[in-house]
Amino acid sequence: MRAVDLFDSYLEGKLNANELEEFELRLNNDPVFVKAFEEHKTLISILNASNERQILKGKLKHIHSIEFGKEAKIISINKPEKLTKRIGKTFIVAASAAVVAVISTIALLSTGGYLLKKQKNEITDLKLEVTGLKYSQNAIVKKLNTKEDKVKFAAANLEGSAFALNNNGYVLTSWHMVNGADSIFIQNATTERALAKIIFKDPALDIAVLKIEDEGISKNWQVPFAFNAKSAEVGEDVYTLGFPRQDVVYGEGSLSSLSGYYNDTAMYQVSIPVNPGNSGGPLLDSQGNIIGVIRGKISSAEGTGFAIKSTEIMRSIAAIEGDSAKSELLLNNSKSALKKLKRSEQIKRINPYVFNVLVYKNN
Amino acid sequence: MLRPKANFSDNDFVEGLKLEDDLVLTALYKKYYNLVLKLVVSNSGSSEAAQDIYQETIIVLYEKCKDPEFKLNCQLQTYIYSVARNLWLKQLKKHGNVGELKDYHLDVYEQSGADIKDHQSKENEIQKAFKSLEELGEPCASLIKDFYIKKMSMDQISEKFGYTNADNAKNQKYKCLQRLKRLFFDNFTIVD
Repeated sequence: MRAVDLFDSYLEGKLNANELEEFELRLNNDPVFVKAFEEHKTLISILNASNERQILKGKLKHIHSIEFGKEAKIISINKPEKLTKRIGKTFIVAASAAVVAVISTIALLSTGGYLLKKQKNEITDLKLEVTGLKYSQNAIVKKLNTKEDKVKFAAANLEGSAFALNNNGYVLTSWHMVNGADSIFIQNATTERALAKIIFKDPALDIAVLKIEDEGISKNWQVPFAFNAKSAEVGEDVYTLGFPRQDVVYGEGSLSSLSGYYNDTAMYQVSIPVNPGNSGGPLLDSQGNIIGVIRGKISSAEGTGFAIKSTEIMRSIAAIEGDSAKSELLLNNSKSALKKLKRSEQIKRINPYVFNVLVYKNN
Repeated sequence: MLRPKANFSDNDFVEGLKLEDDLVLTALYKKYYNLVLKLVVSNSGSSEAAQDIYQETIIVLYEKCKDPEFKLNCQLQTYIYSVARNLWLKQLKKHGNVGELKDYHLDVYEQSGADIKDHQSKENEIQKAFKSLEELGEPCASLIKDFYIKKMSMDQISEKFGYTNADNAKNQKYKCLQRLKRLFFDNFTIVD
């Protein structure tokens, strides 16, 4: 092995016992080797320091523009009270045009902005019809079993996505989707339709945690992804899995901004084309860590989605009162088991833990 | 709901920065900006200059907090003021403006000077690395960053850059790194 490869393996803790012994022996006896190693470490630590400083600078600029920026976009959807607090009279005059523009967008968001899949969705209907036809043709296609089941159920009022929170049978989804539901079911290719109930909600953050009623379903769960406790970075590759159709659909893009619509710092902006049905799906980074939950998009802008940050979700769940409830809801934040895998392999492992959510409402 | 709590103690801030908690960072940033703004603006600086000085100050503090041996030996406010004051004095001197500084805060923590020195020598090294990477060019610079900063595996790198296998990627990385070392160090040590 070349010395440089040895250095890297040593720093990554990848040397076996023999190699390690040999390496340390050389460190003790070979001053040139030591010097080269020190240089190597210095250079790498500077590269990392440079990266860290750059990220921090970006963060500070971002904080500044939000908190003290001239156009101080006070109009954050979740926090309307700030409007009155921060705008002086002169600002209202100056900003009135902007406010009008923004309010019209909010109206759009509240109707079409969420990525719900209404059952009237044409594609969904078509899909059901086709499946029904196959069903009537009887047993030609063996694999159809699960789809047959789907056909027998009444159509849901709303559909979206959800994903496993931990190995205890809890799943995370968007509050706006399950709000007002009479019954909620989850299903995917490996899990048959199962009843779930809401056990935690945070309407302000727009998340809800569901518990799958049938405990047998999560008996052998081994959720492969972990929640990322750190903020992600602009430019990172990200992807999502969701149910805009009956089958799981993959979407990829990059993280465009550390804030969501109108600088809501609880959200990321992503350049993933998200569609009705994607709401509640996981947002993952290239290493398979959960960095957010897909929440919505601006109707007028294609290819722009918003996701609630994992850091905010962790904070929200950590604030739940009562130790027993909290320990059940502990997030999977051990290391992601997906780090070294190719994207396609990651997805294979993740798929069983991403669900189609079906919401039924009586009225 | 779920907003950062309103009153962080000095210790809360230091611990929060250690954990890289963005909400703590935001709260900290908000809390002391006006202090530094006032200092810079009333000593012939613009608000843009104040913003730069303040952000550099926060970076000094942030990186200090991540040093396990760091102990805050004065009030956080005093520390921030002192670092910002020092940085601004330096700027003023660079432009030939040496006069009495109009102060807004009674205490000044003298030792902050040493922290700034550390900060700036690190910044010099970073600039040097930055230039070396620029000179190194593509795809080498990206390859080095992907491996050492993004911690991508050789398989991932090989896929991204279109090498036939991980060993080829590793060879390429080796060559790039040797070149980078040659650019960065005046005399770099070669071993087999």
